[in-house]
Amino acid sequence: MSESGIDGERRRFIAFALTPSLIVLFAVAVLPAIYLIVTSLTPFQLTTPGSATDFSDPLRNYALLPGDPRFVNSLAVQAKLSVASVLFQVLLGMLLALLLNVPSRFVEFARTFFLIPMVLPPIVVAVIWKLIYAPDISPLYYAARALHFTLPALTSSVDFALTSIIIADTWEWTPFTFLMVLAALQTIPDEYSEAALVDGANRLQIFWYVTLPFITPILVISGMFRLIDSVKAFPLIFLLTGGGPGTVTEVTNYYAYLLAFDTNEIGYSSAVTVVMLLLVCGISLGLVWMGRRREALA
Amino acid sequence: MNNASRANSITRRKLLKASAAGAALAAFPAPLIAQTKPFAGVTLHGASFQHRFFTLLQKYIPEFEEKTGMKIDLQLSALPVYNQQANLELSSGGSAYDFVNVTFTLATRWIAAGLLANLDEFTGDANLTPAEWNPKDFVDGAQVPYRDAKGATYGYSWEGGAMLMGLSRMDLMEKKGLKIPKTFAELQQVCAEINGTDGVSGMVSWFLHNWNLPPYIQGFGGNIFRNPPGDPMPTLNTPEAIQGVEFYAKLLKSAPTGVLTYTEDQARQAMLTGRANIFIHSSAWVTPILLSDESKVKETSRVVRSPAGPVHDYPASNSQGLGIPKNAKNQKAAWEFIKWALSPDISMRLVKEHGHSSICRRSIITSDEYRKLNTVNGQDLGALYLEVLELPGKGENYMAYRTSKEFPIVGDVLNKAFEQVATGQLPAKDAMNAAQDQAIAALRRAGTKL
Repeated sequence: MSESGIDGERRRFIAFALTPSLIVLFAVAVLPAIYLIVTSLTPFQLTTPGSATDFSDPLRNYALLPGDPRFVNSLAVQAKLSVASVLFQVLLGMLLALLLNVPSRFVEFARTFFLIPMVLPPIVVAVIWKLIYAPDISPLYYAARALHFTLPALTSSVDFALTSIIIADTWEWTPFTFLMVLAALQTIPDEYSEAALVDGANRLQIFWYVTLPFITPILVISGMFRLIDSVKAFPLIFLLTGGGPGTVTEVTNYYAYLLAFDTNEIGYSSAVTVVMLLLVCGISLGLVWMGRRREALA
Repeated sequence: MNNASRANSITRRKLLKASAAGAALAAFPAPLIAQTKPFAGVTLHGASFQHRFFTLLQKYIPEFEEKTGMKIDLQLSALPVYNQQANLELSSGGSAYDFVNVTFTLATRWIAAGLLANLDEFTGDANLTPAEWNPKDFVDGAQVPYRDAKGATYGYSWEGGAMLMGLSRMDLMEKKGLKIPKTFAELQQVCAEINGTDGVSGMVSWFLHNWNLPPYIQGFGGNIFRNPPGDPMPTLNTPEAIQGVEFYAKLLKSAPTGVLTYTEDQARQAMLTGRANIFIHSSAWVTPILLSDESKVKETSRVVRSPAGPVHDYPASNSQGLGIPKNAKNQKAAWEFIKWALSPDISMRLVKEHGHSSICRRSIITSDEYRKLNTVNGQDLGALYLEVLELPGKGENYMAYRTSKEFPIVGDVLNKAFEQVATGQLPAKDAMNAAQDQAIAALRRAGTKL
């Protein structure tokens, strides 16, 4: 058989093997996305017959978005939440990984302990934090009272509500960055830091000139994953603040949820969701492009 | 043929006939059973949100199944989940459900969109509804949401909620020489004076402001819409509405820290444990201070009519109904179920056997048994409940705003605006002006002609 014949056969086999997965992927991911885009071009309301197929003014929903103060506010809230929580998660994750990158049985146990928040179902995490933030039953408030210190109502305070969500989100997802960075740290050959020590470098210099360059790609990747994931902070917001007080914690996906399920504006909610999807895709592509550029420069 | 042989022959003939009849019975049993159990073989699919009424009803359902031969498949979900499921199912013209809970906030929308069957066709047919079932026995105020503009009925109420005021620490009030508040001004004064005494908050409430706030707005003479349901123009920035918002925000300054995110359960617990003095909410949430085993304040509690505003005395009320989707496959069987579930017999059994009092049949609420069970410490809770539940059916239907199909949109805007006022983000006037603009924009976006 000729070489091209082998290649053709391999290609056919690959196509054959991939087809079922592609069909499933198309059915569960692409089709709903297409339906979402189609719906966003209609004024679809559950109780308005025919509105799901009314394409007379397809860009109406998108034209209304810039003039909707709640949508604009939700983007700003999302940006604050994402930037702050990702920053904290990456920094704390890195710090923890550096501290716990020690060969010891106790530390190994401690590492497992630190992973617990990440593996809990998101709604359980939200309930835990609901209890922590509930002034009348929370141990946090008991402790504050014992110390003669008055804590404000964290989830219903304008100044603290978003911070409360950021703290809970950071608690939940820091283990993810911790795990990623720890894995990266364990791939660094000891020779580099040993050589640096011989050359008289102190710990800070070793971290800055040896360790950090090694783990930077992992920090960027985990930050990127968390940034994309941070738009899904729904359970925390749903259970802790309901988007309030006012619209202080109303992120874009929560606003889309309210539009679709509380006020039945399915078409408009779809448009909000499509814009959110495009923004997430844009950020992801931007980060991937930055990563490639960095590799090319290296 | 001799006598003996004739007798034998008759016997054989009888035996043959009997055998034939037996064979026929064995071959065609269903029609005969069907004559006694007309819905044999029917599986009735119904859905509602989780509520004590259905938990109790499920105990009696085997009796109904035995009587009619049908099987009941009742799906119960959390309220928001149920509302979403039912909205999608009914709006898409599905026939998955034979009977549904008609959530009062969705009733007008479903009825206007023609998604429910007209139940007058069932109650008007003597073959389908016996006279003693008596549709007029349902409290009129509770039935208002389930009627269309022409007065046709699309649901019958299985649960009523009437806004009452619970006071948990009358002992503290008496010590301070305070009387039960009958007006908004007195309410404000009592809350402020009690707050902080003995670690007790003056007031407690919960996070759904579009339920708690409108009675105050209406009390000052305002409303949510100009003239619901016909004229859905929002009226959120009228001086009366602003006054109501300011009043309620000030009232909540006497509430526990974090009250803005309190759930109903948290608020109820604050009352039951005597940590908060006043809770104004539906009877089911307020009366446990007298009726619940958990209550630590039974001796010092009172349940009374909620205070009147300077212009109106409009305590909120609501009801939940059972209805039949327009496309239901088994409408007659569904009506049989609704008739049974809301019959005087089952209603009375729920009251007597389980103390479940939030039913909507007047004859039961006014019965001696009901009154006996619901009179606690000399307080006739049933009379209070009935009095408030009836109000929207007398004269102006002031609860019409709550069943208007525009309310979810405007209510959501109102919630946000109130939180902005209560947390000091905006003065009431600015918040309500912004809310008015947002509500109009959102309604126009949703296709409402204003």
